[in-house]
Amino acid sequence: MPKPVLCWTPAPGLEGLEPLALARAVGLELDQGGALEAAVVTVPEALAPDRLRARLLGRPVQWLDLAAELGGGGDGHRHKRAAAALSRAAGRASLGTLPAVYAPQPNQRVLVAGQGLSALAAARQAALLGHPVLLALRGDDPAAAGAGEDTSQVAELAAGLPEGIELAPPTELTNLTGAGGSFSAWLKGPQGALRQRFGAVVLAPGGAWEMEPAPAGLAPDLARPLSACDPASLATAQGWRQVAILAGVGQPATAQGFARALTTALALQDRPGVQVTLLFREALVATPEGERLYRQARQAGVLMARLADGEPRVADDGRTLAWQDQVLAEDLELAPDALFLAEEITAPWPGFLQNNLLWPPLARLLPEHARLDGGRTARAGFYVLGALRGTPAGDDRLAEAAGAVHDLHDLLGGGATPLPAVRHLTCARCLTCVRVCPHGVPEHLEDHIQPAPAACLACGICAAECPAHAIAPPGWSTAELVEGLARGLKAAPSPAMVLMACGQSAMPAFAQLSRQGHVWPAGLLALPLNCAGRVGLELILRVLSLGAEGVLVAGCHDGMCRSITGNLRARLAVGQAAQTLKDLGLRPEAVSFLHMANNQPQALAKAVEAMYARLGAPE
Amino acid sequence: MRLNDCDPGFKQEIARQPGGEGIKTCFACAACTARCPVGSLKPEYDPRRLIRLALLGRRQEVLSSPLIWLCCSCQNCSEVCPQDVRCAEVLTAIKNLAAKAGHAPPSGSAMARQLASHGRLLEVGEFENDKRAELGLPPVSEEPGDYQALLGLQPEAPRPAGEEA
Amino acid sequence: MGGCLEEIIFLSALDTPVLIIGGGVAGLAAALELDRRGLPSLLVEKGPRLGGQARGFCCKALEACARCGACRVGDLLQQAAQRPALGALTQALAVNAQRQGAGWEVTLIPQESRQPDTPALALERPLRERLLARTGAVILAVGHQVFEARKKSRLGYGRVPGVMTAGELEEALAKGGLPGQARRLAFIQCVGSRDQALGRLYCSRVCCGFALRLARLARHLEPASQVTFFHMDVQDYGQAWRADLSEMRADLRFIRAIPGEVRPGVGGPLAVFAGPDGQPQEEEFDLVVLATGLEPPVAAPALCEMFGLAPGPHGFLAGGGGVLVAGTAGGPRSITESIEHAAQAAAQAAEYLLAAPASPAGEVAHA
Repeated sequence: MPKPVLCWTPAPGLEGLEPLALARAVGLELDQGGALEAAVVTVPEALAPDRLRARLLGRPVQWLDLAAELGGGGDGHRHKRAAAALSRAAGRASLGTLPAVYAPQPNQRVLVAGQGLSALAAARQAALLGHPVLLALRGDDPAAAGAGEDTSQVAELAAGLPEGIELAPPTELTNLTGAGGSFSAWLKGPQGALRQRFGAVVLAPGGAWEMEPAPAGLAPDLARPLSACDPASLATAQGWRQVAILAGVGQPATAQGFARALTTALALQDRPGVQVTLLFREALVATPEGERLYRQARQAGVLMARLADGEPRVADDGRTLAWQDQVLAEDLELAPDALFLAEEITAPWPGFLQNNLLWPPLARLLPEHARLDGGRTARAGFYVLGALRGTPAGDDRLAEAAGAVHDLHDLLGGGATPLPAVRHLTCARCLTCVRVCPHGVPEHLEDHIQPAPAACLACGICAAECPAHAIAPPGWSTAELVEGLARGLKAAPSPAMVLMACGQSAMPAFAQLSRQGHVWPAGLLALPLNCAGRVGLELILRVLSLGAEGVLVAGCHDGMCRSITGNLRARLAVGQAAQTLKDLGLRPEAVSFLHMANNQPQALAKAVEAMYARLGAPE
Repeated sequence: MRLNDCDPGFKQEIARQPGGEGIKTCFACAACTARCPVGSLKPEYDPRRLIRLALLGRRQEVLSSPLIWLCCSCQNCSEVCPQDVRCAEVLTAIKNLAAKAGHAPPSGSAMARQLASHGRLLEVGEFENDKRAELGLPPVSEEPGDYQALLGLQPEAPRPAGEEA
Repeated sequence: MGGCLEEIIFLSALDTPVLIIGGGVAGLAAALELDRRGLPSLLVEKGPRLGGQARGFCCKALEACARCGACRVGDLLQQAAQRPALGALTQALAVNAQRQGAGWEVTLIPQESRQPDTPALALERPLRERLLARTGAVILAVGHQVFEARKKSRLGYGRVPGVMTAGELEEALAKGGLPGQARRLAFIQCVGSRDQALGRLYCSRVCCGFALRLARLARHLEPASQVTFFHMDVQDYGQAWRADLSEMRADLRFIRAIPGEVRPGVGGPLAVFAGPDGQPQEEEFDLVVLATGLEPPVAAPALCEMFGLAPGPHGFLAGGGGVLVAGTAGGPRSITESIEHAAQAAAQAAEYLLAAPASPAGEVAHA
């Protein structure tokens, strides 16, 4: 076991602490600038002086944000809390986990499969950043735009593609496996199917307009899609007088679809003798020009009719619509000479994503998630853009593509991504890690587990779930955490409790409170995690067996977990732990779970207080 | 009511009247209804409803409605309207159309007749001119002829249309 | 000019490929996106803290996340802290810009400011002296202004006790709970939006979302409360939102009418609105919340003049000539939309630098 030294780097919030006394209290040597085997540092890596970083390169280091864990209180109180935190870090460092220096180089190639604005913009940005790009379009014409896209904008992008983009012949992506830095893609083109390897994959099919469902009972010849309407020639030639347009009646519309309906309504209304009635539930005007268009249409004379659920009713003849006017509260009828149904942009999901052995269900892969912007999916290195995601055609798609490319460039650049360590001799090939990893990092190749080089976020779900303790992001194995907590709990004054804090929600809130001088109970030991998913039943029970009176696990709200299921797994583990305690005749309330966000520090302070109120008093 | 039987040109006609331009921009937010002092006294009166009827093209119903004459032009509606409909002026435009179509209430027609024949609604006599003199104002002519000329009316104005009906 | 030149000689100067003005969501996101591209940038914020207006927003989750994006500010600050190359100058105001080749020379002056309660982050460095930033491209991320609710005087803000803006309710909820014993709540939408009379003929895009999420949160915090939602139309925010909305429709009272007046009542503000029968109706509430819309940033005209920009749609900013716009400075946007928009601005700034290698700052970018 390497013997760590304490590298004391002063930082705001650490004032008044005695480095030497603390080092002695936790049984560490204070760094004197000499040779060292392992280290505990009092500030995060980004804030450490360059010289220190250089000295520690390649050594086992625990970077501790001590100020974020301390909080306020008297010097004696803070000394005790600092000693416990440093002990925990020292314990973890003493196991000597090396940083992953020899990670395999992620594949730099980028596959962009799709058509239109999103695909071209993503290919362009990726090529500008130096990635070899394979642009696999569905059709022959790179300038073919998706539904609703500005054809000249697409043509301009297609004409000005930078160097570094290989244009594949019309190709379909039929299968995809892997994750960031190491994808295998099966591409079916004119020469047959072939498998190629990529570091990142961008899926951006061009969309097509799809007509909303017609109201029940409407004569089939009357129901026509909006794109079949050519106001200039049709209206006059057919001698239409009454024209109805339904927008967002059969299904919810989008602002983009509504704006298109307004534009057509305006053009039709301009034809002599034509009266257009636009039927809708909500006027969706949340685009820069939406409100202006809505007003213009009214000004031109388009009659706006708001409908309720179940409207319009269609009379027996199949040609008369009826609804109740919401202002007059009386029934209105309209037998239009022509009727058009609004359309929304849709794109088909590729079949391979339906393979639930290789891919999580779509709701898990692509949840509507406030943290997954820029086309990101749960699987790092795999992006879904444009029509498939419902992004409105236009600049929003360029923005999304730019975000996706920045993210993949960052990922494939290496650096920040840890590589989970797999102990092949212990591994039972049970594939639990493959199943539970939300980011698709572990892949089962040639009878062993091979992690993708640029996809891991070190959420630690694999480490929590692996029954053989055979996989963990570096530094996050149960053994390391337990070793740290054992020493931390020994140093923490009684009653000692552990806060297992998610790095996306609880830890930032905890740090904010600490920096604001919030006084934490002396025996409260924080365990900063990247994700609550690292917790697991075993860790909770081990911590309790080490003498902690209580364990509070704090993770993100449902649907906000960066690793999708980390918070749910943690909550499940807490429930299981409570049941186990109950079965053993112990207090199940010793463990609890808190849902929170990083901007809810009071919720955390209250939960800690409640835990101490519940458990702090001797039984 | 079948929209096919309504008159889609009615709203355009109102919009062509001075003051009626704003009618088509109404998006029925009902702020005018909430602020209307007439509505709080006379429950059937709802400016938003009148505008909606006009937009739907229900010409007869609007023009013959006694309610349109209740608007007192207090402009509370114009003040709160987010779409600049200028509801009170739209109602004036509607009233004008109604009068042309012969739906003016008898008191209104009587006043119009008075104006047409005398050039003014009130007789001007010594009393008024004495008061004006007290205030240092020049006298006004007691003869209505000048005003008839000013208003472009014939001395023997025809009875307003619809009076026979 | 002489005096001016003399001043410039004594300025300390600094080169940066991209200067980002505004340290809110969009500015932070732009800095991060540029850093992901491998391009250094300088982020300047006129206030003492990064994070912008969204930093005061509350989490609107019940148990499940409401996807409001408010906590993304915390995410951005945390990500920025983990990237040593990123730095920000706070209390720095851009007061002048000079075209310099394809790039710009921007003068920054220090701003006095009251020290806020939140401690400074390591990456926040206050500007102490006048500084000249020579840059290849500029990203304007100065955010938006919230509509001044007093301008809609009939709605009683600042005059009738119990009338507050949605922003104030956010703040109150972020600090811990509903103000007072608020049992009867009303939300009035489109205050300062969709309003031709005010010259604001656009939808502010985000208000339906945040107001309904706040309404739901208020109901959750105070289950005995009743919420009335005065609106014209409810905008759409995607599949998951639609599911939430149908629950909200069942739980809250939706009235499709905008009240014409809010006046003091006996126990709280009294709203006058058109009832379902078309009659003016009065109802008393404990709290009336005005969903105030988004307006162009106050600095928009000054920035247009500084950088020679034509005003954009509805008075928001539009870029040109190596000046890009990110976030709500360019138009109403949600937090996550602002983050994506910043990615686009970052990409455009990088492309601009590539196309203009003559500028000294551009060379920095290629190095």
